Amino acid sequence: MKKMIALMLKDFKLLFKDKMAVFFTFIFPLIFALVFGSIFAGDGNGSRALRVAAVDQDQTEQSQQFITELSAADEFKVQLTDEVNAKTLVRKGKLVAYFILPQGFGEDYQSVFSGNAPDILVGIDPSRKAEAGYLEGSLMKLGIKRFENAFTNADALTEQLDRSIIEIEQSDEVPAEWKSLLGDYLPKMRALAQEQQDAGGSISFGGDTEANPMVPLKVTRQDELVQRSGPRNAYSITIPQGAIWAIMGCVIGFAVSLVQEKTLGTMNRLIVAPISRTQIVAGKALGCFVAQVIVVTLLFLVAYFILGVSFDISKLIIAVIASGICFVGLMMFFASLAKTERSVAGMTNAFLIMMGMIGGAMIPLFVMPGWMQAISDFSPVKWAILALEGAIWRNFSYGEMMTPVLILSAIGIVAFILGTRMVKLEDA
Amino acid sequence: MIIVKGLQKRYGSIQAVDHVSLEIPTGHIFGLLGPNGAGKSTSISIMTGLIDADGGSVELDGLEPKSMKARYNIGLVPQSIALYEELTALDNLAFFASLYSLTPDVKSSRIDWALQFVGLQDRANDRVSEFSGGMKRRLNLAASLLHDPDYIFMDEPTAGVDPQSRNKLFDNVMELKELGKTIIYTTHYMEEAQKLCDRVGIIDHGKLLALGTVNELLHQYGGDTKLSISSEKGVKSFSSANVSEDLTNALRDIDKVYDISMNRPDLEAVFLNLTGRQLRD
Repeated sequence: MKKMIALMLKDFKLLFKDKMAVFFTFIFPLIFALVFGSIFAGDGNGSRALRVAAVDQDQTEQSQQFITELSAADEFKVQLTDEVNAKTLVRKGKLVAYFILPQGFGEDYQSVFSGNAPDILVGIDPSRKAEAGYLEGSLMKLGIKRFENAFTNADALTEQLDRSIIEIEQSDEVPAEWKSLLGDYLPKMRALAQEQQDAGGSISFGGDTEANPMVPLKVTRQDELVQRSGPRNAYSITIPQGAIWAIMGCVIGFAVSLVQEKTLGTMNRLIVAPISRTQIVAGKALGCFVAQVIVVTLLFLVAYFILGVSFDISKLIIAVIASGICFVGLMMFFASLAKTERSVAGMTNAFLIMMGMIGGAMIPLFVMPGWMQAISDFSPVKWAILALEGAIWRNFSYGEMMTPVLILSAIGIVAFILGTRMVKLEDA
Repeated sequence: MIIVKGLQKRYGSIQAVDHVSLEIPTGHIFGLLGPNGAGKSTSISIMTGLIDADGGSVELDGLEPKSMKARYNIGLVPQSIALYEELTALDNLAFFASLYSLTPDVKSSRIDWALQFVGLQDRANDRVSEFSGGMKRRLNLAASLLHDPDYIFMDEPTAGVDPQSRNKLFDNVMELKELGKTIIYTTHYMEEAQKLCDRVGIIDHGKLLALGTVNELLHQYGGDTKLSISSEKGVKSFSSANVSEDLTNALRDIDKVYDISMNRPDLEAVFLNLTGRQLRD
């Protein structure tokens, strides 16, 4: 084992001495994922607005005004619909969230000093914590506008105060002390508002949040689990594609290095040394496999911590191992066919690029036309991407993971056996 | 001791090695002399276990060269520069040493020794790609000596080497002999064989044509010495099998000798006499 590890470490040293190889193995896939991910992440007009559905169950002037303000806000791209459709759209991941303005919204909305904070129900996937926070903040900003309206319009303020004085007098919920205080205070304030059109001030009614009308909005969040039928973001697609490019870089690099051992004559030293041919081949295969694992791990660390791509770690490990087996086998196979570095590089490049094209390394599988998707079944790249996507956004069960995993493993094992049988180490 | 019996190897229609048999005693330098394509490298490849023979056998102290035990005792200096050009000299030696299960201390001291031995200790941390052809050749030798093998197979080790590095390599070969190593040295330079080797085998078209010490080969196949005497009677040239006797007789009738030149046979002549061709044809 020590000799195999020595072989592997030597290959890594050689790999890192070759700046172009390092670029195409480690940097290019990341650039690919980032560039294409950021291109696909936009909706075409550069807008970052959250796509939401709005359901107006109140159907009052105030609720309609609120939805108009919501639609005008830069933070949202609003689709007005009914409750059932709104929930479906969010569950299918087509919209980020929905807002429901329940009956009574308008009444609470226009009551500034009395009544309750206007209720608004927000449905969003619980895992979308960042969007939920952003969404609530944006809603509160809009909610504050009702105070602006109330306090900057003297007529509206006077009307508000009249209504509030009556409501407080009739209310059983407001404590007697507060009633007495407000009965004294609000009429004075009304008089002042009448005299000074621009009167303002901070008035607190105390009590808990639900009963506090001075709270701009009472946002109630409702968890709405998204049915993961599509990728969460563009990086969920481009990261597996980038991983494939990285794996392809490893395959070409190690296939060339195996042939190079023969052309340089260093293979002769290995054969004469007390190390078996199996160990030599296994050392190369181990190097290729570990390089693939390292580069894919780095990509997924970037994806997770920087690009917000989440995945099922155990399924991802299975996908990476299966892809590794497949592409190590292919590396051995191509190395066995060629006699020069140029021929192995050309042959492997041509094969992998073609497989990449039809397998989804360039165009995502799900946007391919049907006939192309059928052809892609013949590409190991397709199965590798499918396995990786299964761990990221396709939500594959372990049973579903088995299809790509078994196909990848079978390709890898057959190619490896053929390769090790055909390879002539002493060809130097 | 190396014992080679009836070695055969064929590539398609070409008989690369044709029933070669020889014995090389321990501590000797054995030269395999022949033109390019004569079968020298193929013979060495079989003797080191690099390729399989179609027939015959090779034994190194009674062991097949492919056995793991024998491999610890074989040092191969390949004809090509079998090194990783992008790695440093030290990295190269460290990697090749790691194939021989040496303990870290032994490995480190053997690497130091090998670098010192070939005079590259000051260039240990330089990339091989920055080395001259001669330095690469010397490092190529060093990489074969890390595990202190008893049998060292050197396949045309001076090909494309400058005179200074060539002399250094000759010194290295003689030092290895003094250390008790058995060296198998292939070359198509008869001067090298003549200078270094205890015994020489002349090979052509895969056949071992002659085998013996240099003197034995010269005596047996070299032909007569060419003598030329310039005197007041003019220039007299003749061939002689017995130089001292023939020269004495020739000088008996001459009073005043201006010049005597003597052209002794060499391995080139041996090869010419054996094959009808020049060694470098």
